[in-house]
Amino acid sequence: MFDKILIANRGEIALRVLRACKELGIATVAVHSTADADAMHVRLADESVCIGPPAAKDSYLNIYALVSACEITGADAVHPGYGFLSENARFAEILAEHKIHFIGPRADHIRLMGDKIEAKRTARQLGIPVVPGSDGGVASDAEARAIAASIGFPVLVKAAAGGGGRGMKVAHSEAELGTALATARAEAKAAFGDDVVYLERVLGRPRHIEIQVLGDGKGHAIHLGERDCSLQRRHQKVWEEGPSPAINAGERDQIGETVAKAMRELKYLGVGTVEFLYEDGQFYFIEMNTRIQVEHPVTEMITGIDLILEQIRVADDAELAISQDDVKFLGHAIECRINAENPVSFRPSPGKILHYHPPGGLGVRVDSAVYQGYTIPPYYDSLVGKLIVHGKTRGECLMRLRRALDEIVVDGIETTLPLFRALVREPDIADGNYHIHWLERFLAEGGMEG
Amino acid sequence: MSPKAPIDQDLIRELARLLDETGLTEIEIEQKGLRVRVGRQAPMMHASLPSPVHVAPHPVATPVPAALETQVDPMKHPGVVTSPMVGVAYMAPEPGARPFVDIGSVVKAGDTLLIIEAMKTMNQIPAPSAGTVIQILIEDGRPVEFGEPLMIIE
Repeated sequence: MFDKILIANRGEIALRVLRACKELGIATVAVHSTADADAMHVRLADESVCIGPPAAKDSYLNIYALVSACEITGADAVHPGYGFLSENARFAEILAEHKIHFIGPRADHIRLMGDKIEAKRTARQLGIPVVPGSDGGVASDAEARAIAASIGFPVLVKAAAGGGGRGMKVAHSEAELGTALATARAEAKAAFGDDVVYLERVLGRPRHIEIQVLGDGKGHAIHLGERDCSLQRRHQKVWEEGPSPAINAGERDQIGETVAKAMRELKYLGVGTVEFLYEDGQFYFIEMNTRIQVEHPVTEMITGIDLILEQIRVADDAELAISQDDVKFLGHAIECRINAENPVSFRPSPGKILHYHPPGGLGVRVDSAVYQGYTIPPYYDSLVGKLIVHGKTRGECLMRLRRALDEIVVDGIETTLPLFRALVREPDIADGNYHIHWLERFLAEGGMEG
Repeated sequence: MSPKAPIDQDLIRELARLLDETGLTEIEIEQKGLRVRVGRQAPMMHASLPSPVHVAPHPVATPVPAALETQVDPMKHPGVVTSPMVGVAYMAPEPGARPFVDIGSVVKAGDTLLIIEAMKTMNQIPAPSAGTVIQILIEDGRPVEFGEPLMIIE
């Protein structure tokens, strides 16, 4: 087992990784920018190294500083968390060159799934159903028009180097297609350095349902069920739950096994999430994320499996110790991502947390690195923490969530807690009757006003 | 052993109050043949409960100030030179050679003060301005982090 893991991240996920390391008896190194010197995981780690000024590009994205920090502390493995360098194949390769383990998939799989066109092609070859669209990048506007005509409008123009909801433009008709292509290409070039785009059919009112997978790189892989992440604002997930209110055990087993089998063929190593749009009983692959995800606690609560622990175990060349038959789904879990933002305008609200009381009790979990007196820095994402609730049924889970949301105190900054307090009381949410456009429609129709 | 004179509790309380007020770690006085020392334990490096006012442990060694008479925080000195990177500090161009600077060295802006090695590359760290090196806060071969105080130039 690794002797010392350097946690190349910050905030709640750094604390999450630290917890797993402590439970495995592995020494921890927390790296931080000057803005994060007071972070909770920095206090709790065995060692800390300041790696740069606040800007992410000079600190958390600074491969040079991170490798140097590994050298001076003698860390033999790096956990990249999510975001930052977690899906940077080059970082994984540089670490390998320095004989440091990267806790994640092989660099070639990171690269494969990072190219959204190649990912889709690979998914199709492995028998995973995909969203109908162009078979690869569109080279010209004429080609785009022909493909759009065959798949039907509206179409989505997507950047091959994008992902996570970025670099997408809708064209409702052929008249809009030219502009959508030009804009998408320009934005993709600016944001990702690559302007290759592909087309996909736009689904009407789909749900976002994703499957958690775990592989040991030796041909063994399992699925750990789904998470329904349909409630999104500007392509950012806000509320995630598992199991999905929309699918049954039979559908879960079928899509889960399809995905697990694909991961076995790939000899995939580590955790990953295969994301789908689901409509009218059909699953359509959109992308795969080759890292641990923000909403992983939902899966942990219903399966009882510690995903970070498993991630570290398989990274250490261990064989998967869990078989598909070992995986059981018990009860229901919901996660709310609490951001330091105004709940109506969503304007960021960094600053000092004057009063903090996390809720407790059976089935209540808070994954957060904040504490009373902590100042949320303005340089990074606005996540205050995740409130995750588990219940024996979805109804019990909702009641517990309502109670926990009423109990939690985060004072001194604005947060999106009022949004969740409103959602948990919404009939559509109570019925599980929502899709990927639901939340924006709710907000646009003044759901948070009055 | 019983003391020759009754313990002057007011004196001890007064010293303890002075300790708190001034932030000193220890006060010792001798009066009328009686010596009293009141001291405070330095904060524990590995607290069981993280406390908001506690600074994170630095096992990358605490700075050993050279030729220091007063406990002044080097970071507050206007002439402090801090590390621009993570790596290992070397005070001389190669092992066994004379160090780039000593206490008392006069430097011009741009003169090499030390080398920081990171990922097998040697980076020369220049003096930001002209002056005299009055303090060297690190030793040869010591790992340093970003922002760590290295030297003071006046």
